[in-house]
Amino acid sequence: MFILNPHASVPIYQQLIDQVRRLVAGGQLLPGAELPSVREMAHEHTVHPMTISKAYSLLESEGLLERHRGKPMRVAALRRNQSSVAAKLRQIEPQLEALALAARQLELSDEEVIAQLRKNLGEKS
Amino acid sequence: MSESAVSIQALHWAIKGRSVLQGITTEVRPGDVVGVIGKNGAGKTTLLETMLGFSPPASGSARIFGEDCRNLSEAVKMRIGFVPQQDELLPTLTGTHQISLTSSFYSTWDSALVDRLAREWEVPLDRRANVLSGGERQKLSTLLALGNRPDLLVLDEPVASLDPLARRRFLQQLLEVAGDAQRAVIFSTHIVSDLERVANRIWIIKDGRLLWDGETDNLKQSVRRLHIRARRPLPSELGLRGVLSSRRAPDNMTATVTVRDLGEADLQAAAARMEAHIESEGLGLEDIFLEIHA
Repeated sequence: MFILNPHASVPIYQQLIDQVRRLVAGGQLLPGAELPSVREMAHEHTVHPMTISKAYSLLESEGLLERHRGKPMRVAALRRNQSSVAAKLRQIEPQLEALALAARQLELSDEEVIAQLRKNLGEKS
Repeated sequence: MSESAVSIQALHWAIKGRSVLQGITTEVRPGDVVGVIGKNGAGKTTLLETMLGFSPPASGSARIFGEDCRNLSEAVKMRIGFVPQQDELLPTLTGTHQISLTSSFYSTWDSALVDRLAREWEVPLDRRANVLSGGERQKLSTLLALGNRPDLLVLDEPVASLDPLARRRFLQQLLEVAGDAQRAVIFSTHIVSDLERVANRIWIIKDGRLLWDGETDNLKQSVRRLHIRARRPLPSELGLRGVLSSRRAPDNMTATVTVRDLGEADLQAAAARMEAHIESEGLGLEDIFLEIHA
């Protein structure tokens, strides 16, 4: 379910956090869904168990995951704001920032970029 | 707090007047998988062997489970597994005989584990060491070091002769060793990609010093490559802190600088000062290693 690339510049735990957030925001991981155990994930991807448990703990403190004694990590019950548009937009904030940066470097006008983005959105849907 | 597996203080080591280790201070805790990288001759092997008491430090100290490396007790030695770069297999003994010989030195020996790993790693135990391939010898040496279920496992270039499949299985085993959080693993390697996976901590050794000692994640987050594009020629001194390497174009309008621990505020101040646009890029471990040695 997860794609972890150890050679990327983004640390592995951060990759896992980003993917869980996106899958939850996008509805592929529903409340109550169980995540693989730390041990299973570490073994499957051959990464240090601390890397996985660090990601899980941070997601737990964020309220996205919840831990029950002796049971697998689960996706927490939906909070009202969790699937809001604002929360989803936060997920694509890094891509938006990168786009804005590239647009400024190329000295494209806002209108030109927005027009092109509309086109891309139309193609993708 | 659990006892540290290894504790090193201002460790120096020299041979024939040449200083090989120049003041190394660090600590390893149970559960750590420490990956050690550095160029040839940086001092990796010397560090591993000195901490295990193979030769006395010139000054400073190394302690294993609280005991000085110069006088390790039998009890502590029983808790250590070591795989040297050059294996010490007896050429005319078969794998089975090597295992029974080694196991006789230890009060505890996990035969079930050794048998299982020998099967999984496809080590031909019925053949003499002198007819085994480099990879098979390496796997057999590692089996011998794992048999006493060491609390501290130290491996010097353990994967150099292994094919990718064997390496993956081997790394999984390392993680299992460390996985119960009671035991610690230290391994040196040239294969940076293996470190990124399994090591939660990295030591980068350069010229006998620890250039980096910290979490793998933090290393990736702290080293950035800056792409600087100015509207007017850049000053001769860019005034950036923590520079690891720096290159600039002949026209002085663009530069590429790799920095360590530069905050967002510093970055923006630098951009304003130089009247430049600065793009900050994250790096993989291999690039970081190359930049550090540039």
